[in-house]
Amino acid sequence: MLFYGITVQAQDFAKQIADAKSSYSSGKLADAHFSLEQAIQEIDMIVGKEVLKLLPQKMNDMDAVTNDDQVSANVGFVGATVHRGYGNTGSQVEIISNSPLISSLNAFLNMPLMGGLMRNSTTKVVKIQGYKSRLEKQGDNENGKPNYQLQIPFKSALITVTANGMDESAVLSFANNIPLDKIAALIQ
Amino acid sequence: MKRIVFLLGIGFLFSIPQITHGQLLKKLKEKANNAVNKAVENKTGVSNETKSANNTSEPQSQTNSSGNKPVNKGGAGLKNTAPPDVNAAMDNAGKSFSAKDYSDARYEVQQALMGIEIQLGRELLKSLPDVVDGLQKDTTEDKVVSTQWGWNNMTIQRVYSDKKDKQLTVTIGNNMLYSGLVNAYFGNAYAVQANSQDQNVKQVKVQGNKAIISYEDSKGYSLIVPVGQSSMVVWECINFANEDEVMAAANAFKIDDIKKSLGEK
Repeated sequence: MLFYGITVQAQDFAKQIADAKSSYSSGKLADAHFSLEQAIQEIDMIVGKEVLKLLPQKMNDMDAVTNDDQVSANVGFVGATVHRGYGNTGSQVEIISNSPLISSLNAFLNMPLMGGLMRNSTTKVVKIQGYKSRLEKQGDNENGKPNYQLQIPFKSALITVTANGMDESAVLSFANNIPLDKIAALIQ
Repeated sequence: MKRIVFLLGIGFLFSIPQITHGQLLKKLKEKANNAVNKAVENKTGVSNETKSANNTSEPQSQTNSSGNKPVNKGGAGLKNTAPPDVNAAMDNAGKSFSAKDYSDARYEVQQALMGIEIQLGRELLKSLPDVVDGLQKDTTEDKVVSTQWGWNNMTIQRVYSDKKDKQLTVTIGNNMLYSGLVNAYFGNAYAVQANSQDQNVKQVKVQGNKAIISYEDSKGYSLIVPVGQSSMVVWECINFANEDEVMAAANAFKIDDIKKSLGEK
Protein backbone atom coordinates (compact mmCIF):
# COMPACT_ATOMS: atom_id res chain seq x y z
CA MET A 1 0.00 0.00 0.00
CA LEU A 2 1.32 3.41 -0.92
CA PHE A 3 0.75 6.39 1.29
CA TYR A 4 0.43 10.04 0.56
CA GLY A 5 3.91 10.68 1.93
CA ILE A 6 5.42 9.02 -1.12
CA THR A 7 5.81 11.58 -3.87
CA VAL A 8 3.69 10.94 -6.90
CA GLN A 9 4.29 12.80 -10.11
CA ALA A 10 2.65 12.74 -13.48
CA GLN A 11 5.86 11.51 -15.12
CA ASP A 12 5.68 8.34 -12.98
CA PHE A 13 2.54 7.38 -14.86
CA ALA A 14 4.16 8.07 -18.22
CA LYS A 15 7.18 5.98 -17.18
CA GLN A 16 5.01 3.03 -16.12
CA ILE A 17 3.11 3.13 -19.42
CA ALA A 18 6.39 3.34 -21.36
CA ASP A 19 7.75 0.35 -19.39
CA ALA A 20 4.53 -1.57 -20.00
CA LYS A 21 4.73 -0.89 -23.75
CA SER A 22 8.33 -1.97 -23.96
CA SER A 23 7.70 -5.19 -21.95
CA TYR A 24 4.60 -5.96 -24.00
CA SER A 25 6.35 -5.50 -27.33
CA SER A 26 9.12 -7.86 -26.20
CA GLY A 27 6.56 -10.47 -25.09
CA LYS A 28 7.18 -10.08 -21.35
CA LEU A 29 3.51 -10.16 -20.44
CA ALA A 30 3.91 -10.52 -16.68
CA ASP A 31 6.28 -7.52 -16.58
CA ALA A 32 3.89 -5.45 -18.70
CA HIS A 33 1.13 -6.43 -16.31
CA PHE A 34 3.14 -5.29 -13.31
CA SER A 35 3.90 -1.90 -14.89
CA LEU A 36 0.22 -1.35 -15.72
CA GLU A 37 -0.74 -2.13 -12.14
CA GLN A 38 1.76 0.48 -11.03
CA ALA A 39 0.23 2.91 -13.53
CA ILE A 40 -3.23 2.38 -12.01
CA GLN A 41 -1.81 3.06 -8.58
CA GLU A 42 -0.27 6.30 -9.87
CA ILE A 43 -3.69 7.34 -11.19
CA ASP A 44 -5.36 6.49 -7.89
CA MET A 45 -2.82 8.53 -5.98
CA ILE A 46 -3.31 11.56 -8.23
CA VAL A 47 -7.10 11.18 -8.12
CA GLY A 48 -6.91 10.96 -4.31
CA LYS A 49 -4.97 14.22 -4.17
CA GLU A 50 -7.49 15.88 -6.48
CA VAL A 51 -10.36 14.66 -4.28
CA LEU A 52 -8.68 16.07 -1.18
CA LYS A 53 -8.54 19.47 -2.90
CA LEU A 54 -12.32 19.30 -3.39
CA LEU A 55 -13.19 18.46 0.23
CA PRO A 56 -14.41 21.39 2.39
CA GLN A 57 -11.85 23.12 4.61
CA LYS A 58 -14.26 23.10 7.53
CA MET A 59 -16.80 20.71 9.01
CA ASN A 60 -19.22 22.86 10.97
CA ASP A 61 -16.79 24.84 13.18
CA MET A 62 -13.94 22.30 12.91
CA ASP A 63 -10.96 22.96 10.66
CA ALA A 64 -9.61 20.28 8.33
CA VAL A 65 -6.49 18.55 9.68
CA THR A 66 -4.68 18.59 6.36
CA ASN A 67 -1.47 17.24 7.93
CA ASP A 68 -3.28 13.94 8.42
CA ASP A 69 -4.59 13.80 4.84
CA GLN A 70 -3.99 10.35 3.47
CA VAL A 71 -4.33 8.65 0.11
CA SER A 72 -3.66 4.99 -0.50
CA ALA A 73 -3.76 3.02 -3.74
CA ASN A 74 -4.09 -0.70 -4.12
CA VAL A 75 -4.99 -2.65 -7.22
CA GLY A 76 -7.29 -5.48 -6.29
CA PHE A 77 -9.91 -5.96 -3.64
CA VAL A 78 -9.28 -3.01 -1.38
CA GLY A 79 -9.24 -0.24 -3.97
CA ALA A 80 -8.07 3.30 -3.34
CA THR A 81 -8.82 5.25 -0.18
CA VAL A 82 -8.81 8.94 0.71
CA HIS A 83 -8.89 10.23 4.27
CA ARG A 84 -9.46 13.74 5.64
CA GLY A 85 -9.88 14.46 9.33
CA TYR A 86 -11.64 17.45 10.97
CA GLY A 87 -10.99 18.91 14.43
CA ASN A 88 -9.98 16.56 17.23
CA THR A 89 -13.26 14.71 17.73
CA GLY A 90 -12.61 11.88 15.30
CA SER A 91 -14.76 13.52 12.64
CA GLN A 92 -13.62 12.60 9.17
CA VAL A 93 -14.41 11.89 5.56
CA GLU A 94 -13.29 8.53 4.13
CA ILE A 95 -13.63 7.65 0.48
CA ILE A 96 -13.05 4.14 -0.84
CA SER A 97 -13.11 3.80 -4.60
CA ASN A 98 -12.65 1.22 -7.33
CA SER A 99 -13.17 -1.66 -4.97
CA PRO A 100 -15.23 -4.75 -5.83
CA LEU A 101 -15.83 -5.20 -2.11
CA ILE A 102 -17.55 -1.83 -2.09
CA SER A 103 -19.78 -2.93 -4.97
CA SER A 104 -21.02 -5.77 -2.76
CA LEU A 105 -21.39 -3.44 0.21
CA ASN A 106 -23.39 -1.01 -1.89
CA ALA A 107 -25.70 -3.81 -3.02
CA PHE A 108 -26.24 -4.50 0.68
CA LEU A 109 -26.81 -0.83 1.44
CA ASN A 110 -29.51 -0.75 -1.21
CA MET A 111 -31.42 -3.69 0.28
CA PRO A 112 -33.81 -2.40 2.92
CA LEU A 113 -34.61 -5.89 4.24
CA MET A 114 -30.91 -6.50 4.91
CA GLY A 115 -30.64 -3.41 7.05
CA GLY A 116 -29.46 -1.18 4.23
CA LEU A 117 -31.29 1.95 3.21
CA MET A 118 -34.01 1.60 5.81
CA ARG A 119 -35.61 3.60 8.55
CA ASN A 120 -35.45 2.58 12.19
CA SER A 121 -34.80 4.33 15.50
CA THR A 122 -31.16 5.10 14.69
CA THR A 123 -31.01 4.95 10.90
CA LYS A 124 -32.71 6.80 8.12
CA VAL A 125 -32.38 7.41 4.42
CA VAL A 126 -31.59 10.94 3.32
CA LYS A 127 -30.86 12.51 -0.03
CA ILE A 128 -27.65 14.44 -0.37
CA GLN A 129 -27.55 16.40 -3.63
CA GLY A 130 -29.84 13.75 -5.11
CA TYR A 131 -27.76 10.77 -3.94
CA LYS A 132 -29.58 8.33 -1.66
CA SER A 133 -27.57 7.99 1.53
CA ARG A 134 -27.76 6.23 4.87
CA LEU A 135 -27.58 8.38 8.01
CA GLU A 136 -26.97 6.55 11.27
CA LYS A 137 -26.88 7.99 14.77
CA GLN A 138 -24.04 6.36 16.66
CA GLY A 139 -24.66 7.29 20.28
CA ASP A 140 -23.50 10.46 21.98
CA ASN A 141 -20.06 11.86 22.71
CA GLU A 142 -18.81 12.64 26.25
CA ASN A 143 -20.56 16.04 26.13
CA GLY A 144 -23.89 14.39 25.38
CA LYS A 145 -23.91 15.57 21.78
CA PRO A 146 -24.82 13.07 19.07
CA ASN A 147 -22.37 11.28 16.76
CA TYR A 148 -23.43 10.52 13.21
CA GLN A 149 -22.21 8.45 10.32
CA LEU A 150 -23.38 9.19 6.80
CA GLN A 151 -22.74 6.70 3.99
CA ILE A 152 -23.11 7.80 0.39
CA PRO A 153 -22.74 4.80 -1.95
CA PHE A 154 -21.70 5.07 -5.60
CA LYS A 155 -21.14 2.23 -8.06
CA SER A 156 -17.84 0.89 -6.79
CA ALA A 157 -17.11 3.70 -4.36
CA LEU A 158 -18.34 4.73 -0.94
CA ILE A 159 -18.08 8.08 0.82
CA THR A 160 -18.37 7.84 4.59
CA VAL A 161 -18.73 10.99 6.68
CA THR A 162 -18.19 10.57 10.40
CA ALA A 163 -19.45 13.65 12.22
CA ASN A 164 -19.08 13.56 15.98
CA GLY A 165 -20.68 15.95 18.45
CA MET A 166 -23.02 17.79 16.13
CA ASP A 167 -26.71 17.72 15.35
CA GLU A 168 -28.32 16.16 12.29
CA SER A 169 -28.88 19.41 10.42
CA ALA A 170 -25.19 20.33 10.79
CA VAL A 171 -24.16 16.91 9.40
CA LEU A 172 -26.47 17.26 6.42
CA SER A 173 -25.37 20.83 5.82
CA PHE A 174 -21.71 19.71 5.79
CA ALA A 175 -22.49 16.82 3.44
CA ASN A 176 -24.29 19.18 1.10
CA ASN A 177 -21.14 21.28 0.90
CA ILE A 178 -19.10 18.36 -0.49
CA PRO A 179 -19.02 18.67 -4.30
CA LEU A 180 -20.29 15.10 -4.80
CA ASP A 181 -20.77 15.34 -8.57
CA LYS A 182 -17.18 16.44 -9.10
CA ILE A 183 -15.84 13.74 -6.75
CA ALA A 184 -18.03 11.09 -8.39
CA ALA A 185 -16.66 12.06 -11.81
CA LEU A 186 -13.13 11.54 -10.49
CA ILE A 187 -13.52 8.33 -8.54
CA GLN A 188 -15.89 6.29 -10.69
CA MET B 1 -60.41 -5.38 13.69
CA LYS B 2 -60.38 -5.17 9.88
CA ARG B 3 -56.75 -4.08 10.03
CA ILE B 4 -55.82 -7.11 12.15
CA VAL B 5 -57.55 -9.43 9.70
CA PHE B 6 -55.73 -7.68 6.83
CA LEU B 7 -52.35 -8.04 8.55
CA LEU B 8 -53.02 -11.69 9.35
CA GLY B 9 -53.96 -12.20 5.70
CA ILE B 10 -50.70 -10.60 4.53
CA GLY B 11 -48.76 -12.72 7.04
CA PHE B 12 -50.42 -15.84 5.72
CA LEU B 13 -49.54 -14.90 2.15
CA PHE B 14 -45.87 -14.60 3.09
CA SER B 15 -45.81 -17.79 5.13
CA ILE B 16 -46.95 -20.22 2.44
CA PRO B 17 -44.52 -21.69 -0.08
CA GLN B 18 -43.66 -19.81 -3.28
CA ILE B 19 -45.62 -22.00 -5.73
CA THR B 20 -48.78 -21.94 -3.66
CA HIS B 21 -48.21 -18.23 -3.28
CA GLY B 22 -48.17 -17.80 -7.07
CA GLN B 23 -51.30 -19.91 -7.55
CA LEU B 24 -53.13 -18.04 -4.83
CA LEU B 25 -52.20 -14.69 -6.34
CA LYS B 26 -53.41 -15.90 -9.73
CA LYS B 27 -56.73 -16.96 -8.26
CA LEU B 28 -57.06 -13.67 -6.41
CA LYS B 29 -56.31 -11.83 -9.63
CA GLU B 30 -58.91 -13.82 -11.53
CA LYS B 31 -61.52 -13.19 -8.84
CA ALA B 32 -60.69 -9.49 -8.83
CA ASN B 33 -60.95 -9.39 -12.63
CA ASN B 34 -64.31 -11.16 -12.54
CA ALA B 35 -65.61 -8.76 -9.92
CA VAL B 36 -64.46 -5.72 -11.93
CA ASN B 37 -65.90 -7.16 -15.15
CA LYS B 38 -69.26 -7.76 -13.49
CA ALA B 39 -69.32 -4.23 -12.11
CA VAL B 40 -68.45 -2.76 -15.53
CA GLU B 41 -71.04 -5.04 -17.17
CA ASN B 42 -73.73 -3.76 -14.80
CA LYS B 43 -72.85 -0.16 -15.51
CA THR B 44 -72.39 -0.33 -19.29
CA GLY B 45 -74.80 -3.08 -20.14
CA VAL B 46 -72.16 -4.72 -22.40
CA SER B 47 -71.33 -8.29 -21.42
CA ASN B 48 -67.76 -9.50 -20.95
CA GLU B 49 -68.21 -12.17 -23.59
CA THR B 50 -69.22 -9.56 -26.19
CA LYS B 51 -66.13 -7.51 -25.31
CA SER B 52 -63.78 -10.43 -25.70
CA ALA B 53 -65.36 -11.32 -29.02
CA ASN B 54 -64.72 -7.78 -30.23
CA ASN B 55 -61.15 -7.69 -28.95
CA THR B 56 -59.42 -11.01 -29.31
CA SER B 57 -55.98 -9.73 -28.37
CA GLU B 58 -57.00 -8.84 -24.83
CA PRO B 59 -57.36 -12.37 -23.41
CA GLN B 60 -54.01 -13.30 -25.00
CA SER B 61 -52.16 -10.46 -23.36
CA GLN B 62 -53.83 -11.31 -20.06
CA THR B 63 -52.61 -14.89 -20.35
CA ASN B 64 -49.09 -13.68 -21.09
CA SER B 65 -48.97 -11.45 -18.07
CA SER B 66 -50.30 -14.11 -15.74
CA GLY B 67 -47.53 -16.68 -16.14
CA ASN B 68 -47.19 -17.91 -19.73
CA LYS B 69 -44.15 -15.78 -20.46
CA PRO B 70 -42.72 -16.13 -23.97
CA VAL B 71 -39.94 -18.68 -24.13
CA ASN B 72 -36.76 -17.85 -26.02
CA LYS B 73 -36.46 -20.34 -28.88
CA GLY B 74 -32.99 -19.35 -30.01
CA GLY B 75 -30.72 -16.54 -31.11
CA ALA B 76 -27.31 -15.99 -32.58
CA GLY B 77 -25.76 -15.49 -29.14
CA LEU B 78 -22.96 -13.06 -28.55
CA LYS B 79 -20.25 -12.30 -31.08
CA ASN B 80 -16.85 -13.55 -30.11
CA THR B 81 -15.13 -10.24 -29.39
CA ALA B 82 -11.35 -10.05 -29.45
CA PRO B 83 -9.70 -9.22 -26.15
CA PRO B 84 -8.96 -5.51 -25.66
CA ASP B 85 -6.19 -4.18 -27.91
CA VAL B 86 -3.43 -3.65 -25.38
CA ASN B 87 -1.36 -1.15 -27.40
CA ALA B 88 -4.41 0.96 -28.27
CA ALA B 89 -5.60 0.91 -24.65
CA MET B 90 -2.16 2.02 -23.41
CA ASP B 91 -2.06 4.85 -25.98
CA ASN B 92 -5.56 5.97 -25.00
CA ALA B 93 -4.61 5.83 -21.32
CA GLY B 94 -1.68 8.18 -21.98
CA LYS B 95 -3.91 10.61 -23.92
CA SER B 96 -6.64 10.62 -21.24
CA PHE B 97 -4.05 11.11 -18.52
CA SER B 98 -2.54 14.12 -20.34
CA ALA B 99 -6.04 15.57 -20.65
CA LYS B 100 -6.49 15.03 -16.87
CA ASP B 101 -9.39 12.67 -17.56
CA TYR B 102 -8.23 10.29 -14.84
CA SER B 103 -11.37 8.16 -14.74
CA ASP B 104 -10.97 7.35 -18.43
CA ALA B 105 -7.22 6.82 -18.07
CA ARG B 106 -7.91 4.26 -15.35
CA TYR B 107 -10.49 2.51 -17.50
CA GLU B 108 -8.06 2.25 -20.41
CA VAL B 109 -5.29 0.84 -18.20
CA GLN B 110 -7.79 -1.72 -16.88
CA GLN B 111 -8.65 -2.68 -20.46
CA ALA B 112 -4.95 -3.13 -21.23
CA LEU B 113 -4.60 -5.30 -18.12
CA MET B 114 -7.51 -7.48 -19.20
CA GLY B 115 -6.02 -7.83 -22.67
CA ILE B 116 -2.68 -8.94 -21.24
CA GLU B 117 -4.30 -11.37 -18.81
CA ILE B 118 -6.36 -13.05 -21.52
CA GLN B 119 -3.33 -13.28 -23.81
CA LEU B 120 -1.23 -14.67 -20.98
CA GLY B 121 -3.91 -17.19 -20.07
CA ARG B 122 -4.19 -18.42 -23.65
CA GLU B 123 -0.43 -18.83 -23.91
CA LEU B 124 -0.38 -20.70 -20.63
CA LEU B 125 -3.10 -23.05 -21.88
CA LYS B 126 -1.04 -23.75 -25.01
CA SER B 127 1.92 -24.74 -22.85
CA LEU B 128 -0.06 -27.33 -20.86
CA PRO B 129 0.28 -31.02 -21.84
CA ASP B 130 -2.13 -32.53 -24.37
CA VAL B 131 -2.52 -35.84 -22.54
CA VAL B 132 -2.36 -36.46 -18.79
CA ASP B 133 -2.60 -39.95 -17.33
CA GLY B 134 -4.22 -41.18 -20.53
CA LEU B 135 -6.82 -38.41 -20.43
CA GLN B 136 -7.13 -36.18 -23.51
CA LYS B 137 -7.46 -32.40 -23.21
CA ASP B 138 -10.95 -31.10 -23.88
CA THR B 139 -10.33 -27.67 -25.41
CA THR B 140 -14.04 -26.87 -25.46
CA GLU B 141 -13.78 -26.53 -21.67
CA ASP B 142 -10.75 -24.19 -21.82
CA LYS B 143 -11.42 -21.02 -19.87
CA VAL B 144 -9.52 -17.81 -19.32
CA VAL B 145 -11.30 -15.40 -17.03
CA SER B 146 -10.06 -11.93 -16.28
CA THR B 147 -11.82 -9.29 -14.25
CA GLN B 148 -11.38 -5.57 -14.31
CA TRP B 149 -9.88 -5.74 -10.84
CA GLY B 150 -6.34 -6.28 -11.99
CA TRP B 151 -4.40 -9.46 -11.38
CA ASN B 152 -6.74 -10.71 -8.70
CA ASN B 153 -9.27 -13.34 -9.62
CA MET B 154 -7.65 -14.25 -12.90
CA THR B 155 -8.52 -17.87 -13.64
CA ILE B 156 -7.23 -20.27 -16.28
CA GLN B 157 -8.92 -23.67 -16.54
CA ARG B 158 -8.30 -26.81 -18.59
CA VAL B 159 -10.23 -30.07 -18.44
CA TYR B 160 -8.84 -33.53 -19.33
CA SER B 161 -11.28 -36.36 -19.76
CA ASP B 162 -11.65 -39.92 -21.04
CA LYS B 163 -15.20 -38.99 -22.16
CA LYS B 164 -16.54 -41.50 -19.66
CA ASP B 165 -16.32 -40.95 -15.94
CA LYS B 166 -12.72 -40.04 -15.30
CA GLN B 167 -11.83 -36.38 -15.37
CA LEU B 168 -9.04 -34.03 -14.34
CA THR B 169 -9.62 -30.29 -14.08
CA VAL B 170 -6.62 -28.05 -13.60
CA THR B 171 -7.23 -24.46 -12.53
CA ILE B 172 -4.47 -21.91 -12.41
CA GLY B 173 -5.55 -18.85 -10.49
CA ASN B 174 -4.18 -15.68 -9.15
CA ASN B 175 -6.02 -14.64 -6.09
CA MET B 176 -4.15 -13.25 -3.18
CA LEU B 177 -7.10 -13.71 -0.85
CA TYR B 178 -7.54 -17.46 -1.32
CA SER B 179 -3.88 -18.17 -1.85
CA GLY B 180 -3.15 -16.41 1.44
CA LEU B 181 -5.64 -18.70 3.19
CA VAL B 182 -3.95 -21.77 1.79
CA ASN B 183 -0.57 -20.46 2.88
CA ALA B 184 -1.96 -19.87 6.36
CA TYR B 185 -3.02 -23.52 6.35
CA PHE B 186 0.61 -24.59 6.04
CA GLY B 187 1.40 -22.75 9.24
CA ASN B 188 -0.85 -25.15 11.12
CA ALA B 189 0.66 -28.57 10.43
CA TYR B 190 -0.43 -29.99 13.78
CA ALA B 191 -4.11 -29.58 12.95
CA VAL B 192 -3.59 -31.23 9.60
CA GLN B 193 -1.83 -34.28 10.98
CA ALA B 194 -3.79 -34.71 14.22
CA ASN B 195 -6.75 -36.60 12.87
CA SER B 196 -4.60 -39.47 11.65
CA GLN B 197 -7.16 -42.24 12.01
CA ASP B 198 -9.39 -40.89 9.28
CA GLN B 199 -7.01 -38.72 7.36
CA ASN B 200 -8.46 -37.11 4.27
CA VAL B 201 -6.25 -34.02 4.13
CA LYS B 202 -2.51 -33.98 4.18
CA GLN B 203 0.56 -32.08 3.08
CA VAL B 204 2.65 -33.31 0.19
CA LYS B 205 5.24 -31.84 -2.17
CA VAL B 206 4.80 -31.42 -5.91
CA GLN B 207 8.06 -30.72 -7.76
CA GLY B 208 9.50 -29.30 -4.57
CA ASN B 209 6.48 -27.06 -3.86
CA LYS B 210 4.46 -27.53 -0.70
CA ALA B 211 0.95 -28.73 -1.48
CA ILE B 212 -2.25 -29.97 0.15
CA ILE B 213 -4.02 -33.06 -1.06
CA SER B 214 -7.52 -33.92 0.09
CA TYR B 215 -10.06 -36.61 -0.65
CA GLU B 216 -13.84 -36.67 -0.42
CA ASP B 217 -16.04 -39.51 -1.64
CA SER B 218 -18.41 -37.11 -3.36
CA LYS B 219 -15.72 -35.00 -5.06
CA GLY B 220 -12.69 -37.21 -5.49
CA TYR B 221 -9.15 -35.90 -5.01
CA SER B 222 -8.11 -32.24 -4.85
CA LEU B 223 -4.52 -31.10 -4.92
CA ILE B 224 -3.64 -27.46 -4.25
CA VAL B 225 -0.20 -25.97 -4.83
CA PRO B 226 0.33 -22.32 -3.90
CA VAL B 227 2.75 -20.81 -6.40
CA GLY B 228 4.85 -17.75 -5.66
CA GLN B 229 3.28 -14.95 -3.66
CA SER B 230 -0.31 -14.98 -4.82
CA SER B 231 -1.02 -17.71 -7.36
CA MET B 232 -2.04 -21.32 -7.07
CA VAL B 233 -2.63 -24.39 -9.14
CA VAL B 234 -5.51 -26.70 -8.26
CA TRP B 235 -6.07 -30.18 -9.67
CA GLU B 236 -9.50 -31.77 -9.18
CA CYS B 237 -9.39 -35.45 -9.99
CA ILE B 238 -12.61 -37.42 -10.37
CA ASN B 239 -12.51 -41.23 -10.34
CA PHE B 240 -8.76 -41.50 -9.85
CA ALA B 241 -7.77 -44.82 -8.30
CA ASN B 242 -5.43 -43.48 -5.65
CA GLU B 243 -3.21 -40.72 -4.38
CA ASP B 244 -0.22 -41.88 -6.45
CA GLU B 245 -2.18 -41.50 -9.66
CA VAL B 246 -3.10 -37.92 -8.68
CA MET B 247 0.53 -37.08 -7.92
CA ALA B 248 1.68 -38.57 -11.23
CA ALA B 249 -0.93 -36.50 -13.08
CA ALA B 250 0.20 -33.32 -11.30
CA ASN B 251 3.81 -34.05 -12.18
CA ALA B 252 2.90 -33.95 -15.88
CA PHE B 253 2.61 -30.16 -15.45
CA LYS B 254 5.75 -28.03 -15.20
CA ILE B 255 5.07 -25.83 -12.21
CA ASP B 256 8.21 -23.77 -12.74
CA ASP B 257 7.02 -22.81 -16.23
CA ILE B 258 3.62 -21.82 -14.87
CA LYS B 259 5.34 -19.71 -12.20
CA LYS B 260 7.46 -18.00 -14.83
CA SER B 261 4.44 -17.21 -17.02
CA LEU B 262 2.65 -15.63 -14.10
CA GLY B 263 5.70 -13.56 -13.18
CA GLU B 264 5.99 -15.32 -9.81
CA LYS B 265 9.23 -16.15 -8.03
